Amino acid sequence: MALFKRVIDWIDVRIGARDLAQKQVGDYLLPRNINVWYSMGSILLFIFVMQIVTGILLLIYYVPDADKAFKSVTYIMNEVPFGWLIRMCHAVGSNMMVLVLLLHMFSVLFMGSYKGPRELNWVTGFILLTLVQGISLTGYLLPWSQLSFWATTVATNSANAIPVVGHYLVEFLRGGKLVGPATLGRFFALHVAVIPLAIGALVGLHLFLLERIGVSTPPFGLKETKNSWQGKEFRYEGHPGGIRFFPNYALQDLTSIAIYFACFLGVVFFDPYLFFPRDAFLPANAFVTPAHIKPEWYFLANYQTLKIFPNELIGLTVQGAAMTFLALLPFIDRGPERHPLKRPVFMVCTLGGILLWLGLTVWGHYS
Amino acid sequence: MDTVGRRKFLGLCLGGVATGALAAIIYPLFRYLAPRPVDGSADKVVIQLKDVPDGEAKFFEFAGASAVLVNKRGGGLVALSAVCTHLGCIVQWEKDKQDFLCPCHGGHYTPDGAVVSGPPPKPLTKLPFTVANGAITIG
Repeated sequence: MALFKRVIDWIDVRIGARDLAQKQVGDYLLPRNINVWYSMGSILLFIFVMQIVTGILLLIYYVPDADKAFKSVTYIMNEVPFGWLIRMCHAVGSNMMVLVLLLHMFSVLFMGSYKGPRELNWVTGFILLTLVQGISLTGYLLPWSQLSFWATTVATNSANAIPVVGHYLVEFLRGGKLVGPATLGRFFALHVAVIPLAIGALVGLHLFLLERIGVSTPPFGLKETKNSWQGKEFRYEGHPGGIRFFPNYALQDLTSIAIYFACFLGVVFFDPYLFFPRDAFLPANAFVTPAHIKPEWYFLANYQTLKIFPNELIGLTVQGAAMTFLALLPFIDRGPERHPLKRPVFMVCTLGGILLWLGLTVWGHYS
Repeated sequence: MDTVGRRKFLGLCLGGVATGALAAIIYPLFRYLAPRPVDGSADKVVIQLKDVPDGEAKFFEFAGASAVLVNKRGGGLVALSAVCTHLGCIVQWEKDKQDFLCPCHGGHYTPDGAVVSGPPPKPLTKLPFTVANGAITIG
């Protein structure tokens, strides 16, 4: 320990590490009525790091070649010691990431934390949601199973509905007329390089905005729940007399991460194939389409929406409009009230939207 | 138990749990990254004598590394590891000079693997072999 202290002292006298840590985490005050939902971001950061680490480990044995990809994944699962564990952690983690991201988004929605001056936090968060969906979609193809192949065929085919450029867009996405080795190459590049870098940059921007603007105050347990920011000048929302991030809230973050990790390992060890239908275990065959091919659970609502509308273009337009509405929500919902029970219209719309999404997901699953 | 004793006990418990958790991460990680046995690296390799004409050498994979069989001009077979003893490059057979050259740093070996010149600190490792019915079995 004495050696450790000497190393820290050595660094401290050169860069003022203790002072920096004190300012950034020790003196970083949070509202006294902060709740557990504020730790969702930390869980997401933990999952993102886990995905990067397990992803890099998988890269050691995975071969991004249409003739070898499925075999290399089988090799990881059956031959490499603990390969199954690394792959399951990566696959289950990707699903968990979407789930926790949705919970994070719902908590921000219900507590009205997206309202000014935090519009940019919401927008960056929303872009992160689409990027996570994108990284999940591109990763889905990599095992080159029947599920990968045909789910990608269906997903990329949706772009066909776009007038004029649809056909070209599908070919551009696939790197050819059909899903094939060229698609694997570009999806691999997107999955392991382009999208992770974009997510990393966006996470950095998201945290920068949080640091710059300050943590929002939850609307619960307060007499005044209206947004006090007038929108005329920059204001850092400090919380004098609040609780310290370190060690107080850091402990809450660690607790939340531990609970998440227990649930995550519960799935990995007791129901690892929860997210794997039968077709995920068969190698891709471009001449045999399996029956009832379906996307991942978080795309089921989109899938069902496309099926409901008689015209694919209308289905895509409706989805695009819903996504745009959600992305621009802070600019549409400009009322100062933040408490969910004092916003009946908002509550009805949000709960209705969530129920609609859940209903479409269940419908898509059983259709 | 006084406060300090309890705190120390809890600290030790926490340290124990953290060490266990770390071991549970490091062990699978080590096993995952540890080298895997390479397919085709047989313990015994059979080469037909007619495949190695007089004065020529045949390179092959043996026990996961490169090896070479030399049919010396004027008679005599030698099986050697083809890994240079200097820095691990693979030696090349120079048919005209009837010697081995390591292209990395210019080490020279005789057909028997003895160092002639250059930086290699010791001769090439000899491999055991037997000859029967026109077939050479190495290993």
